[in-house]
Amino acid sequence: MATCYPPCAVPGSAAGRARVARSPHIPGCFAYAGLNLTCSMSDEPRLPLGEPAPDCLLPNGRYLHELRGQPVLLAFAPEEWNPAHAHQSTIFTQLLGAFDAGSSAPEAVVSCWHSLSCHGPVAAQFGVAGQRALLLLDEQGRLRWQTTIRPGHELRTGQVLAALEALRPDAPAPCAAAGEAAAGAALAPAGGGLSRRTFVTATLATAALLLLVGAAEAAGPVSPTETQPPMPAPEAATVPVTLTINGEAHRLEVEPRVVLLDALRENLHLTGTKKGCDHGQCGACTVHLDGHSALSCLTLAVMSEGRKITTIEGLAQGETLHPMQAAFVKHDAFQCGYCTPGQIMAATALVQDKQRRSAAEIREAMSGNLCRCAAYPNIIAAIQEIQTA
Amino acid sequence: MHPFTYQRATTPAQAVAAVAPAPGAAFVAGGTSQLDLMKEDVLRPSLLVDVTALPLTTISALNGGLRLGAGVSNTAAALHPEVAARYPAVSEALLAGASTQIRNMASLGGNPLQRTRCPYFRDPAQACNKREPGSGCAALQGINKVHALFGASNSCVATHPSDLAVALAALDAQVQVTGPNGPRTIAFPDLHRLPGDTPQQDTTLAHGELITSIDLPAFTGRSHYLKVRERASYAFALVSCAVALEMEGQKIRRARVALGGVAHKPWRVPAAEALLAGKKPSEKLFRAAAEAAFADAKPLEHNAYKIPMGRNLMERALLETSGLQPLQGPAGTAFAASVGGVSGE
Ligand SMILES: Cc1cc2nc3c(=O)[nH]c(=O)nc-3n(C[C@H](O)[C@H](O)[C@H](O)COP(=O)(O)OP(=O)(O)OC[C@H]3O[C@@H](n4cnc5c(N)ncnc54)[C@H](O)[C@@H]3O)c2cc1C
Ligand code: SF4
Ligand code: FES
Ligand code: FES
Repeated sequence: MATCYPPCAVPGSAAGRARVARSPHIPGCFAYAGLNLTCSMSDEPRLPLGEPAPDCLLPNGRYLHELRGQPVLLAFAPEEWNPAHAHQSTIFTQLLGAFDAGSSAPEAVVSCWHSLSCHGPVAAQFGVAGQRALLLLDEQGRLRWQTTIRPGHELRTGQVLAALEALRPDAPAPCAAAGEAAAGAALAPAGGGLSRRTFVTATLATAALLLLVGAAEAAGPVSPTETQPPMPAPEAATVPVTLTINGEAHRLEVEPRVVLLDALRENLHLTGTKKGCDHGQCGACTVHLDGHSALSCLTLAVMSEGRKITTIEGLAQGETLHPMQAAFVKHDAFQCGYCTPGQIMAATALVQDKQRRSAAEIREAMSGNLCRCAAYPNIIAAIQEIQTA
Repeated sequence: MHPFTYQRATTPAQAVAAVAPAPGAAFVAGGTSQLDLMKEDVLRPSLLVDVTALPLTTISALNGGLRLGAGVSNTAAALHPEVAARYPAVSEALLAGASTQIRNMASLGGNPLQRTRCPYFRDPAQACNKREPGSGCAALQGINKVHALFGASNSCVATHPSDLAVALAALDAQVQVTGPNGPRTIAFPDLHRLPGDTPQQDTTLAHGELITSIDLPAFTGRSHYLKVRERASYAFALVSCAVALEMEGQKIRRARVALGGVAHKPWRVPAAEALLAGKKPSEKLFRAAAEAAFADAKPLEHNAYKIPMGRNLMERALLETSGLQPLQGPAGTAFAASVGGVSGE
């Protein structure tokens, strides 16, 4: 019944707009492959499953219809970081991680989510009005799966992988019916011999494109078809907080649930401190609190008031690197550099006591800082140089 | 993370008064368990009461023992010279746990109250009676590799993850709490409970009860903590063992042994302790004690490996504590506590 899915309309065409405008709302609740995940109707994007997606201009200057022939995953998130969406970055980090883990097609991953928007005309075209949402289009540009990530909730990457899996050639035909039935079909648990990991790898290696949309707003999108009232994020009370960072007092208004890491990065734009796991497991977010190393991802900003906070930005004296920074450069103690600010903050806190540590002791003391590039021997060498200096 | 209101308490009474009447309220100290689980959407308190400003951050002498304030950091406690010298099991357990950063943040009051690391508990999409009473237990039929051998129920087979708690159970520490009904003292082995039909309740503390200190009784014997984990450092125990040994001449006067990673609480093994009392330390004796300790273990589908691992670990912990075998590193450090070494060398 392929005819029930006419090809995607040309950019801005009346046909495309009309189709979206006429679309019935998708059903409010459905079970996702084994998971009993309930979505309330008002939270759902309003583009019906099985319908061709409206066209739009993408951040890279291409039109969505040019991507036909491969599955496309559209991700919407607020343009501005908002503490009411405390998980927005985690979701996309996890998602990229999930794809990265099995993908040999890195060029397919466009990571520009910091400038995404779930407000505005492109979002409205897809029925997204302020919520974080993910939409999966098949090779023919038809909507095959969608989900909204409500404030305070996290996306389970497994759902996305399951949805991608359902796009494989031997998955149940999606055309049987639109709406709920299609949702069921698209999300049916995998059969067949391929494991999920193998299939996703294969899909990604050959075809899939993870495309994160939103900066399209700036690029001049096709005009909106139907503007829906934006879903305002629930307003939570903010509290005034004064943080003493690198010797300077910063006054800000944050919700109590904002962790120091997000306050540093998103409110104060001190982006040297990195977010890796966001759960205390990697050390990328290490800062000093009153001179001791601590994880800013598990410290509330409100709880940091009155404490002396030092971040990687506070180590250098003007243009002169901190000796530990210089030692890291000298010993080539990094590759991609993502873990490096956290490593350096942990290392500088460690050597403060002037104790001479063996390599084994350094390794043990630094075990909270993971390095995906495994620069460990060089990190140890840098620290050893400083403690013997 | 769900929105909540935040209060900073400056006295224990204030903290209790804020939490006790509010069913959705919780204390927060280092936040390393509490905030992590709030980010996972496992916990959704409506009010967080910060207890880090309470005057509970000192370590002082008490009746020949030590009083450790609930607000003392794991690092400060582990490196305290009196703790390291007189209660090495405590320092070893602390230093073999988590990472430098987390130990700097974590508090002695919060550590024993951290929640289980059962992966199903941490995933709100899974059935879990501990997180959502009545929803079932996904671990029973799921991957139960890190789950309990002892004292579990059909409602929950989770283990308690704290290293410190195992050492404190072996040393018969006392927990001082204050609450809506005033102060009381809890013997450490009675702080945690078995899951029964109410696994949502980890401890015997009432809502709003605040730990003010952990008291280590006078102790002149030897103590030691040993931990097996999946990587050399920065991982929770698969199985661990704390031993407190008091000698009389050549013979063991009293032995106390607690196992970690095997039950919903630190697991004391009275049968093995009785077997050790009055005997001369030997490899054979320790083997027999370890056999006795695991005699009534009830493995699940994926965790039977913990029985031989735990037996060997307990035997070794006894050998090392008694001096029949050398410690693997300086007493009171992570090196002494880590089976397989910590350095990856
Ligand atoms: C990546 C990682 C690895 C870890 N590895 C280990 C490990 O190997 N071994 C180990 O033992 N632990 C480990 N931990 C756990 C960590 O040690 C604990 O989370 C920490 O000790 C808890 O202390 P806290 O002060 O941060 O408690 P919080 O997170 O602030 O609180 C924990 C609980 O205790 C309650 N609470 C806090 N203080 C009091 C008080 N005074 N009275 C009453 N209730 C109170 C809180 O309400 C909450 O329910 C790890 C944690 C992470 C994130
Ligand atoms: S073992 Fe306990 S914590 Fe784990 S899923 Fe079952 S009920 Fe939940
Ligand atoms: S971001 Fe990984 S430990 Fe904080
Ligand atoms: S340098 Fe790449 S993660 Fe450490």
